[in-house]
Amino acid sequence: MTMKQTYNRRQFLKGLAAVGATALLPCRFLVPMNAEAAAFNEAEFTIFRNACPRNCYDTCSIKTYVKDGVIQFIEGAPESTYTDGGLCVKGYSYTRRPYSPDRIKYPMMQDGRRSGKWRRVSWDEALDRIAKKILELKEKDGNLLGMGMTKYSGNFGITNYGVEGMMSSLGYTTRFVGTPCWPAGIDAQNYDMGNMWCNDPEDMAKAKYIIVWGANPAWCSVHSMKYIMEAKRRGAKIVVIDPVFTQTAAKGDVYWQPKTSTDGALALGMAKHILDSGLVNQDFVNNYSYGFEDFANYLNANVTVEWAAEQTGIPAKDIKEVAEEFATADPATIWIGYGMQRHTNGGASVRSIDALVAMTGNIGKEGGGARYGQLQTWGFNYHALIQKQPEGSKGFVGNAAKGEFDFTNGTEAQYSDRTVNINKTAQVILDTKDPAIKMLWVSCKNPFAQDFDRPKLEKAFDTLEMVVTVDQFFNETVANSDIVLPVTTLFEEWTVNVSYWHYWLSINEQAIKPMHEAKSNIEIAAALSQKMNALSPGSCTFPQDIDTKEWMAKEFNKDIYSYFGIADWTELRNGPVKAKLKTSAAWPDHKFDTPSGKYEFKSELCEKNGHNALPAFKERRKHYAAFRLLTPHTKFGIHSQFINLDWMQEYDKEPFVYMHPNAAAKKGIADQDMVRVFNKVGEQRVRVKLTDNVSEDCLLMYEAWFGKGNTFNVQNLVDDESADMGAFKAGAPGVAIHDQFADIERI
Amino acid sequence: MQKQYAFLVDSERCIGCFTCAMACRNYYHQEEGIIWRQVYPLAEEIYPHRERAFFSLACNHCANPACLNVCPVNAYTKREKDGVVVHHQDKCIGCGNCIRSCPYGAPKYNPVAKRAEKCSMCHERLDADLKPACVQACPTDALQLIDLAELHQTNEVQYPAGFPKMESVNPSTRFILPQMPKMVRR
Ligand code: SF4
Ligand code: SF4
Ligand code: SF4
Repeated sequence: MTMKQTYNRRQFLKGLAAVGATALLPCRFLVPMNAEAAAFNEAEFTIFRNACPRNCYDTCSIKTYVKDGVIQFIEGAPESTYTDGGLCVKGYSYTRRPYSPDRIKYPMMQDGRRSGKWRRVSWDEALDRIAKKILELKEKDGNLLGMGMTKYSGNFGITNYGVEGMMSSLGYTTRFVGTPCWPAGIDAQNYDMGNMWCNDPEDMAKAKYIIVWGANPAWCSVHSMKYIMEAKRRGAKIVVIDPVFTQTAAKGDVYWQPKTSTDGALALGMAKHILDSGLVNQDFVNNYSYGFEDFANYLNANVTVEWAAEQTGIPAKDIKEVAEEFATADPATIWIGYGMQRHTNGGASVRSIDALVAMTGNIGKEGGGARYGQLQTWGFNYHALIQKQPEGSKGFVGNAAKGEFDFTNGTEAQYSDRTVNINKTAQVILDTKDPAIKMLWVSCKNPFAQDFDRPKLEKAFDTLEMVVTVDQFFNETVANSDIVLPVTTLFEEWTVNVSYWHYWLSINEQAIKPMHEAKSNIEIAAALSQKMNALSPGSCTFPQDIDTKEWMAKEFNKDIYSYFGIADWTELRNGPVKAKLKTSAAWPDHKFDTPSGKYEFKSELCEKNGHNALPAFKERRKHYAAFRLLTPHTKFGIHSQFINLDWMQEYDKEPFVYMHPNAAAKKGIADQDMVRVFNKVGEQRVRVKLTDNVSEDCLLMYEAWFGKGNTFNVQNLVDDESADMGAFKAGAPGVAIHDQFADIERI
Repeated sequence: MQKQYAFLVDSERCIGCFTCAMACRNYYHQEEGIIWRQVYPLAEEIYPHRERAFFSLACNHCANPACLNVCPVNAYTKREKDGVVVHHQDKCIGCGNCIRSCPYGAPKYNPVAKRAEKCSMCHERLDADLKPACVQACPTDALQLIDLAELHQTNEVQYPAGFPKMESVNPSTRFILPQMPKMVRR
């Protein structure tokens, strides 16, 4: 801290203070200012560009301030109008993450799964064990399909697709494909429009009417809230539909709490009323859509507003009111959340909501749109992903499914990887034969926190001969592994990031040297390749020495540069850039990627894939226990990440089950009681919080991993029932995460 | 009136996301257990739903700071140019008088430094024409920096329900009250 040199009154007072003159001053307000701190000076720091690679709508651009090789603090990049200089509660805890005392520092081996008997080993020793196991499997089976890889959204930095690349470079392996996240909705939008493509979220500010349907941006996309609030300030009405009175709902004009998983009926009821009121946008349905007549006939024959009211619990007059307002506002938009499609009828529900937006002519319009997500900005080279199998590799024969982030073109290879459903991890490990899965590589994923039916998962893992997990913290998956390899945080590697929601592109620079012995996923792949080739020359094609910066640079191409209006990736060092969009609307010319080239109210493709051709009503899953159990995201974490950090625990001490006071009274449960929540899957002990934010027939527990001795895990209560859609585009159906039921009792 | 910077807490816009709180921790790396800015959910008597409306609170940089008045070693100063109440930790002897006297619980005891500490309103940042870290971080502009001398009061209140009314210290923070949607529930 330096002293300000200007001689002013403060300096004068300071002089007085030195001689004890303050005592003479009449008022303590005039206490001298001594040792005034120097103004903040950016020049004292080296500034790096980073990007949040978590599975989050916002994919924030980060500005990182480093001094003496240590991150001092971070903030949101001011260049991105979306991030707008800020991050979220999780983002700001990043400063702690690379330095967390709980980080996995070295490769370690566990003597006996779940024994906690970890010992430090060298990278060489760890890789030697792993490589020998891989060679043993290949030798025994004649192929490498006994090696499984499960990876998902723990780090969406593009170079992290090197994990898949590493697997390919070893041979044909078994891949867990699909997504627990959004597959039913992706399929639904593909049937309706031929792709999943959303308006620029920044244009929500232009909407005159916004329905947020089963999404909670106040927690899961904080930076989107400012556009919703801006629209509201400009006079738009905000309607929030959710079984839970969410934080987003508290900020809206109208909140609807329908019965869970009746969203399809609600949308159809609104559609029927719009049809009856003559508010259908004729231009859109006549010129740009296919099968509207059939849809109208379906509505006339099967749907009444009163029926919808009965199904959903929302009174008919409210359904009519909002339907009319929505149909007459211009533009009007619906944000379709990922939560509402995690049901056995989720895909059908999304199609019904799409139809509502389409029949009012709001698709293809700025400020309008059926917003779900987009992958328009993901046109990278996937250099890290695309690797060749070693000469003579044998694999799976047949047409295996591809995952939703697989951007590779179909190759005519004789063999392929074997694909299994990521949403039934436990079951497929138990069931897969010829060869059985004997070794599992886990990266960018925490199956024990995210995969379903945790008790079964433990049994499944126990059948594996070797589990290797690449992670930063000792989570439950690590506990169920034999070897753990420490991986870099975003600050310790180069990569590049885009969002599935907004249209910004950011690079992620290496801001600090990797802590301890951490390596990035692609460096791990290179190190394994070295070891493989040392033991058995030619057994791995992955390059044996890589530079993460060079690999990041290899992900860019001409199309990306022109889409984002830059000449070279190095320009991103000045800050993130946004795609040069001619319009903020998706489908602006109403040319759809469907077989008919039109918006398809009726989809023969959908029918061919085993569903109804129309967005027809689909019954919800039958209850299997007394209460509906919802396990949505918490605001303090993304899936199992962040919650374990000591900085986060300052504000988030303990998990709870949330329950309505009336329901609790009937069970003799009081606020803060310890309870047991149980169902056919398993049980979880937890403290209860009473709240009317949930309905009487519902229990709510936020998905999370708390760590440090806390055994809380909602996956003890969630089975692996499939959603209706997802197999078409994501390779496997989604999971009915919110179609779960449980009972509760005081302990 | 003299310039007096203050936090404006707009609970109509606040989504209780704790971003402001973590942005502070990100900037100052407080010791475990020490919180300068906290986000408090309003009690159900004030906002009829649990954990859906919030006050984000730190030091109020009061007009007549109790902390400053009780400090035996003049470790507190109130900046004339903007009214920011600064705690000079180098002078602090850790006697705890400020901690006991502040009616808003802003100063905290740092067991490592064995001294008090509290929100500084990021005055080094203010002096570089930057916003406080928490204010810059707030994604909805629910937390803002205002100058009371220039505030043309409309719907701001000084003592909302749940916030202790301490007229003697005259806290600078101003509030806008939360609203409620029309609710259709089963
Ligand atoms: S978690 Fe989401 S909102 Fe938070 S910093 Fe990362 S991308 Fe931004
Ligand atoms: S809130 Fe407390 S610590 Fe802050 S200025 Fe007022 S009395 Fe002092
Ligand atoms: S960052 Fe803003 S919106 Fe979030 S809790 Fe703080 S004041 Fe509220």
